[in-house]
Amino acid sequence: MRKKAGVVVLSSDDEDDKPSLSSNRSYAKSKSKPLFTCTNPRPAKKPRLSGSRTRSHFCKESSNVNENGVSFEDFDDLLNGFKVSAGSGRIGTNELWVDKYKPCSVEELAVHKKKVEEIKTWFEKRLRTKDDSSNHVLVITGPAGVGKSATIHVIASHLGARLYEWNTPTPTIWQEHVHNCNSGVRYTSKLDEFENFIDRIRKYGLITPSFTGESRSSIILVIDDLPVTNGRTAFERLQNCLLLLVRSVRIPTAIVVTECEKVDSGDYTPRSFEELQSSLVNAGACKVAFNPITNNSIKKTLLRICRQEQCSLTAEQIDLLAKASGGDIRHAITSLQLVCMNFDRMLNLPSSNSSSNFSKEKADELSASGSGFSMQFGRDETLSLFHALGKFLHNKRETENVTGMDQDAFCVLGKFSRLPFKMDAPEMVLCQAHGQARPVADFLHENVLEFIGEEAMDDASAVASYLGDADLLFASFRGILTRYNEAENVLQSAAASVAVRGVLFGNSQPLPSRWHAIRRPKLWQVEQSAMRNKIELVKNRVAYNGSSLSDVSVIATELAPALKWLGYRSSRGLESRDVSMQGNETEDDSLASLDDEECEISDDDEIEDW
Amino acid sequence: MLWVDKYRPKTLDQVIVHQDIALNLKKLVTEQDCPHLLFYGSSGSGKKTLIMALLRQVFGPGAEKVKVENRTWKIDAGSRTIDLELTTLSSANHVELSPSDVGFQDRYIVQEIIKEMAKNRPIDTKGKRGYKVLVLNEVDKLSREAQHSLRRTMEKYSTSCRLILCCNSSSKVIEAIRSRCLNVRINAPTEEQIVKVLEFIGKKEGLQLPSGFAARIAEKSNRSLRRAILSFETCRVQQYPFTSNQAIPPMDWEEYVSEIASDIMKEQSPKRLFQVRGKLYELLTNCIPPEIVLKRLLYELLKRLDAELKHEICHWAAYYEHRMRLGQKAIFHLEAFVAKFMSIYKGFLITTFG
Repeated sequence: MRKKAGVVVLSSDDEDDKPSLSSNRSYAKSKSKPLFTCTNPRPAKKPRLSGSRTRSHFCKESSNVNENGVSFEDFDDLLNGFKVSAGSGRIGTNELWVDKYKPCSVEELAVHKKKVEEIKTWFEKRLRTKDDSSNHVLVITGPAGVGKSATIHVIASHLGARLYEWNTPTPTIWQEHVHNCNSGVRYTSKLDEFENFIDRIRKYGLITPSFTGESRSSIILVIDDLPVTNGRTAFERLQNCLLLLVRSVRIPTAIVVTECEKVDSGDYTPRSFEELQSSLVNAGACKVAFNPITNNSIKKTLLRICRQEQCSLTAEQIDLLAKASGGDIRHAITSLQLVCMNFDRMLNLPSSNSSSNFSKEKADELSASGSGFSMQFGRDETLSLFHALGKFLHNKRETENVTGMDQDAFCVLGKFSRLPFKMDAPEMVLCQAHGQARPVADFLHENVLEFIGEEAMDDASAVASYLGDADLLFASFRGILTRYNEAENVLQSAAASVAVRGVLFGNSQPLPSRWHAIRRPKLWQVEQSAMRNKIELVKNRVAYNGSSLSDVSVIATELAPALKWLGYRSSRGLESRDVSMQGNETEDDSLASLDDEECEISDDDEIEDW
Repeated sequence: MLWVDKYRPKTLDQVIVHQDIALNLKKLVTEQDCPHLLFYGSSGSGKKTLIMALLRQVFGPGAEKVKVENRTWKIDAGSRTIDLELTTLSSANHVELSPSDVGFQDRYIVQEIIKEMAKNRPIDTKGKRGYKVLVLNEVDKLSREAQHSLRRTMEKYSTSCRLILCCNSSSKVIEAIRSRCLNVRINAPTEEQIVKVLEFIGKKEGLQLPSGFAARIAEKSNRSLRRAILSFETCRVQQYPFTSNQAIPPMDWEEYVSEIASDIMKEQSPKRLFQVRGKLYELLTNCIPPEIVLKRLLYELLKRLDAELKHEICHWAAYYEHRMRLGQKAIFHLEAFVAKFMSIYKGFLITTFG
């Protein structure tokens, strides 16, 4: 069933390994061991790596016992792993289906045939010909759960190659670190370890004494799970290290990069990963991008599993599951397991997608909307703040009122009625974008005027007024923040809702969409420079007015202008303050730490048409 | 030194504008213990001058020897300590500060500083324990919480210190504080009074004042004495000898607002609104208080407006001004007012002229 071709397992291995395991308990020793594993059995003389107590190790162990050539993600419990491995793989009910139904052959992969073929030929070429001129690195990118690692594993076993993996070491927890410090073990960061690993690979290849009788051609190095980098410098180290690898490695190497979704906009990672990819490609690596798995493939896989598990789900339900997974097959399978587990208790799956006012070509969007509300197992879709703002500002609506007039619907006056949205409820969009309420309002305020027709002054006025309402709500609980956290939250959401709906409603004749850049609110910058100027004024107020403190407003409105006229202390005049404001603009970006994320978004993203 | 400071009356006897109040205050402090005082009145009416003169009356010339300090107060607020920096002006007998400078943390200042003052009470010459005076500016800008804590500390430490509060509008000071203070209303000086002061300064400076010139300055000053004296001085720098029809230089921001007003009158469109927003930002950057901007803008707009719209526009200005006070970000409301005006005015133009 799951026996892999091309994997030779020595049955003595288990026995060999176990003693080594126990004999290598000494912490210090195992710390300094090389950190890559070979999933094939190895002679016991080679000391085991990565701390004999770690779970991954046990899993490796179990997979060895299981005679699996492929190393799996080790998320099943350690004991379980052993038990299951003892019996025959498929019967154990405790196993996660994701592991149980791991693809064993190229045919079982849900990944698109072409992609698989592409990777296969790439590896074949590298393995067959000893051509040192071509590069040896393949970068595989794609969102989580689209079968990147699985593809490599399957292809490797198909080609009869062994996989050498970089295993990210278990993170050192603080107590452990303290303990290690006391016992004299030097801490090496995971990035350091990775660098060492790469360095070794580059210099010596994978020459280990254990290679007996196997040709060098059948080794594939896999770097799944890049070390986490925090901050620019660390990232640059990682990048350089990988670049060196790309340039000098002689064995076929696959680097698997999981794309974080761009929407986690606060995060620095997505950008840096893009940068990393492009630099690797520039250095000569070959890049294959995986797309989310298509609905049909997921459905096919799910159906297969259903058949084997003998659970009867309707085609409709499977369809729904597939849609809800958003192209993430791992997620889909797990969901399926959940559904089957409490199948009797499950109420019939809501056939939520009855909302008819979605047009056909928006089917994918529809699936996203369905997943958010109606099912417990959907993958929550996320939107970038930017995307959400685009939706609000462009204010796309149906061309006619499709839903028609129900009897119980409100009758609204013509001037208050609007066509239905071409999107989800604004609150939901907001929620998906996890935008903070205040910045959302600020962004809308900054940008909305450009989306209002030149003649529609009334609309502009309505929108401005609604934004004012939102501002009122934002301000309501100022000062007593700590005690009324709950109320604060409700207010914030309400305010955001008012702002968004105000913008949507107020703009009664949305312009046909055209290209617009969404700007970062100038308001933030203005607030900052106003604050600075105020501090400046307050500092100098004694200079204005010898023996008494004057109000800031008095200084700003009367004393400072007068002094400017009088010509002395000219540096305090309005002009010079303007200049200081201009001068500050450049440093603003670095200063505005809390706004940085937003500013990053707005600086170079633009929306055209959604 | 500016004329505003140079000719500021030093004692209660020298006061020109509010002689009656000055006299009463003098009587008050010479005859008996001084109660807490709350001075209120519009800007430039002479509150501060009176307070300083009063302090001098109580403590003698020592009250004028002030030192400026940038003090940091460490405040223990339960789980954390807050550092607050505030400029104070203090002499041996009094401390002056504007607690509203620290924003919403003003309540800590109010409590902390009064406590501290109560700790070290000065002893006067007769060996009797004297009291210190705490002058608080801009009390109307204090947050509610701060005002409430002020009320409590006022009672607790009333033996050791006196408070002199100063604000523009007593309506924004809570009842409890108002009732604990002797309220002193300082009216804005009349134009005649302003003319008198200007003439007094002119005489001291040895200037020839053409007839009607001082009156014109007074008229332009919006009944603010400070404003009048400042304009007077700028006129002096600009052109001397004076001519009676000499232009009185307006404040730069006022010119700017008037420019905004004409922008608004010229075109009503979202695009123009956007431009106006930019100009409003400019004003706000320079710390011109948004209320004053709105007021001035209304004034400028009304000057150019048809009579039948004036009422409606005033209504909306008041509406948005109120919301601005309640709200957080002034620009939202300023802009909403401008947008409303544009919308109304555009409708008006269309109905009148087709």
